Amino acid sequence: MFFNSSAHNPSLDEFREEVRAFCRKEISGDFGRKLELGQHLEKPEYDAWLKALAGRGWLAGNWPKEYGGLGWEPEQSAIFNDETARAGAPWLIPFGVTMVGPVIYTFGSEEQKKRFLPDIVANNLWWCQGYSEPGSGSDLASLRTAAVKGTDADGEHYIVNGQKTWTTLGHWGDWIFCLVRTDPDVKKQKGISFLLIDMKTPGVTVRKINTIDMGHHLNEVFFDNVRVPAENLVGEENKGWDYAKFLLGHERAGAAGVGKFTRYMDQLRAVLAITNEGGKPLSESPYFRRRIADLEVSIATLAALSEDQRTAFHAAGSPSLIGAGALKLRASELQQEILQTMTEVLGRHGLAYQTDALMAGWNGELIGPKESAGILYEQLIRRAATIYGGSSEIQRTIIAKSAFAG
Amino acid sequence: MSAFSTEERQLLDDSFNEYFRDNYGATHAVALARSGDPDGFGRKEWSDYADLGWLGLTLPEAAGGSEGGLTEAGIFFAAAGRYLAQEPLVQTLVLGAGSITRLGTPEQQKQLKEIAEGKLLVGFLHAELASGYDRSHVTTIAQPIEGGFRLTGEKAFAVGAHSADILIVSARIGDAAGPVGLFLVPADTDNMQFTVAPAIDGRRGAAVRFEDAELGKDALLGNNTEDRTLEIDTLLDHGTLAVCADALGAMVAATEITTEYLNTREQFGRKLADFQVLQHRVADMKVFCEEARVVIHAALTAVDEGAPDANLAIWRAKVQTARAARFIGGQGIQLHGGMGMTDEMPIGHYYKRLTMCEAMFGDAEWHLDRLASMTNMSVNGSAATGS
Repeated sequence: MFFNSSAHNPSLDEFREEVRAFCRKEISGDFGRKLELGQHLEKPEYDAWLKALAGRGWLAGNWPKEYGGLGWEPEQSAIFNDETARAGAPWLIPFGVTMVGPVIYTFGSEEQKKRFLPDIVANNLWWCQGYSEPGSGSDLASLRTAAVKGTDADGEHYIVNGQKTWTTLGHWGDWIFCLVRTDPDVKKQKGISFLLIDMKTPGVTVRKINTIDMGHHLNEVFFDNVRVPAENLVGEENKGWDYAKFLLGHERAGAAGVGKFTRYMDQLRAVLAITNEGGKPLSESPYFRRRIADLEVSIATLAALSEDQRTAFHAAGSPSLIGAGALKLRASELQQEILQTMTEVLGRHGLAYQTDALMAGWNGELIGPKESAGILYEQLIRRAATIYGGSSEIQRTIIAKSAFAG
Repeated sequence: MSAFSTEERQLLDDSFNEYFRDNYGATHAVALARSGDPDGFGRKEWSDYADLGWLGLTLPEAAGGSEGGLTEAGIFFAAAGRYLAQEPLVQTLVLGAGSITRLGTPEQQKQLKEIAEGKLLVGFLHAELASGYDRSHVTTIAQPIEGGFRLTGEKAFAVGAHSADILIVSARIGDAAGPVGLFLVPADTDNMQFTVAPAIDGRRGAAVRFEDAELGKDALLGNNTEDRTLEIDTLLDHGTLAVCADALGAMVAATEITTEYLNTREQFGRKLADFQVLQHRVADMKVFCEEARVVIHAALTAVDEGAPDANLAIWRAKVQTARAARFIGGQGIQLHGGMGMTDEMPIGHYYKRLTMCEAMFGDAEWHLDRLASMTNMSVNGSAATGS
């Protein structure tokens, strides 16, 4: 259809106000200040925020009610994502609630649902993603971490050997969901299984990866003869690739992070207002005014694309491939463009990058606007936006394939 | 005209590259930048540059220099950028020695010899908190006092200022309407507050506050109170072009290491280098390198030949180079995939160097504005621009 129906739903205005009020209350004081400065959060701070959301049922608001969710419609989820991002809320760590949770409630056993879902809804455990490997990035299906089935005195199990990489915040992880190879002799997509692994199991080692922003967010996870009970297999053996694809669709159906862009634009306006050129605020510069207008055209387009995807999802039960690809592509590129523009402003202050200022409690002398370090950190780390979750090149390949398939 | 022949330039290029290849590179650069010492660059390297005669490359013969032009210096900076040299070369040689050579009294020129010998590092503090890239906005005041001047004001963060022996500081003489002079300020002068920090690419610098810092009479460069705004603009234009050369070296290296990476990494059972979309990306990186090289060369030639519109050539070079730097830095990481995000791979360090080069002394948009203000809109105007 050319234009899906997507009328404004006034019954959700109250919910929007409720989320706003919640954010105003929770994102305040030292916590609010840290977020404003873009400082790195510690695990307890993430947990406190996620727990607060869980307390309202909002953490897993879009989950079906039978699994502890509120059964939100996509529209309501979008409002929630949008408002929390606008308010500068911490990243909604997706590994449990957006990724492994839906896989478990869709494909997992009753036993697994009982065992894992309540802890995800309540944010009691920290989940990590074990997908990429050093040799398997864009070509994820070539993954080689092996899980070999066996039996011992304690029962059926898998022995896992191999290595995962780019594991975000894996150093805080309690559990990791992994794609592992259970059959090496079939077409590569056909021999993959979806396994849940307790990271405290002997043989699991987490090693940090330093990134270009000079921070520690990513990790390698090594598996050396790790014994995983067979009951931790989700769904059927060798069907893991299907579950991974389901998960990807689930992930994409959600947000393009438009709320976050609104937040970025606020920051851009703030640094423009306090940066002078020739003694005049840069916010008066014709170039930057035009730049803001230009970025807002892109943001409005992205918001419309995101909403269209949502209604299409609603109508057809699945997002369109082209739409999902376009959303990932444009959202990631736009994010980088906004951050480049902010960097252009900070160029006027000499581009000092005081990484110490990203740590709470630092009270050295700042160079440039107070947000500088946080913006430059984002500028660097968001280079990954066009790489992770299917690189821009992969997105274009998917879109092209879909286009040529007619 | 430069006294250097094409062959001589080639020899210079060879020896610069040989030195940096053997002694420098991303690993060494990072080790120096993150070492505990206050410089964050190599003193040994600095004395090597002096021993090899490179610090005197553009200096007068009287100072022990070889009287090369900005082109010869550009070849040096390109090699330094290619191997991520951390030393404040542009600051000391182009801005520091440049201002002393152009404006200094015979007595002040004696310091050039010390620069050539590697005994004197020079910083350049012109931009202020409210100036942005605008070069005419100076609010620092040098109040004439008995026997010299008293300096008050605040200068924005500048790479290299943290370790300089002498800072060249712009200030209005007398009051806010006074002429802009350049002052030679020893770094150990009283009543100066340094805020030292690393820049995004790891090179260090400082913002400096002057709170009634007292200077001698001989601190005023040229020892007269002429307004130096135009001279400062020219010096910064030369610094801009020097930064373009540095970026050129970094862009060539970034393109090379990206190409090498694509030749090694395999996905979907093929080398990444076999994917046409990635080949085309590398082709674009290459074209950007070539465009930057020729436009920088044109500007260097214009400067060394004293062309009346050399400034326009520099501005064009900066616009083109900054755009190329953004593309090549970004795509260098992109084509490395996740590995490009790691601190251990060189490409991220090139990205950060190029981000710095894009901004230094005015970015693409700011230079484009300058060009736009000079654009000849008359129908019969021959070239795109003219003064």
